[in-house]
Amino acid sequence: MMRATPEIDEQVGSRRREQTMPPWQTVVWNDPVNLMSYVTHVFREYFGFDRPHAERLMLAVHHEGHAVVSEGAREQMELHVQAMHDYGLWATIRKAPQ
Amino acid sequence: MSERRVVVLEVTRMEAAHIAGLVTQFAELLDGTEGSGSDPAIARLVPDAYRDDAEAAQEFRDVTEGDLLERRRQDAGAVLTSLHEQAAIDTTVEVDVSDDAMMEVVAVRLDADALQAWLRCLAAIRLVLSTRLGIRSEDDHNPEDPRFGVYEWLGYRLDGLVRAASSDD
Repeated sequence: MMRATPEIDEQVGSRRREQTMPPWQTVVWNDPVNLMSYVTHVFREYFGFDRPHAERLMLAVHHEGHAVVSEGAREQMELHVQAMHDYGLWATIRKAPQ
Repeated sequence: MSERRVVVLEVTRMEAAHIAGLVTQFAELLDGTEGSGSDPAIARLVPDAYRDDAEAAQEFRDVTEGDLLERRRQDAGAVLTSLHEQAAIDTTVEVDVSDDAMMEVVAVRLDADALQAWLRCLAAIRLVLSTRLGIRSEDDHNPEDPRFGVYEWLGYRLDGLVRAASSDD
């Protein structure tokens, strides 16, 4: 039987830890100022989403008032939120609802 | 990729001068500000990153506000540079509407970086105007207030640039 290397053990361990901790989310909120075309552009430009995905998220923001655009570690979400603010979008960080 | 594309904005010198005037005012607002605490229009450019945690929101703001407002200054500078270099718009000289040259159409060529600066800058100026105009919903509009015309004209220009930037079909 093959023995897992310590390195793999470590990776599995950290994955388990991530699963037990609630992830953080980057949420973009609807505002009456930013154009739909611009919001779609930002999602494509910054996150690299394809057009259909970017438009789906933009429409979710528009119709539902907000959309989760990314999920992961808190530090990463803070970078995303700062980037969204840099484009003029209204974005916040939150813990993923349980 | 579309980001490498050069976009050409065709405007009259008159319109270019108006854009330059607004961007100059925006840059002056940024230079004169004491931060988001003193002006709701500046606050809109650096919104709360945490909705239900004022302390975390303040910490985030302490770290990011300076960089974000500096980026707004740089974007405004980039827009003025393109207008100055390519449309020969001098923001220190007042626009003379009787001058035929003002109706001349000029082509402002924007490379990828300049284009992104234009997009962010026009979006940011609309945010500032919307705060000044008290716009709270998409239907807020007062036809008797000429400032709404400026706000909507900027939206039209921003939308055109976005479409040029992201046309891939």
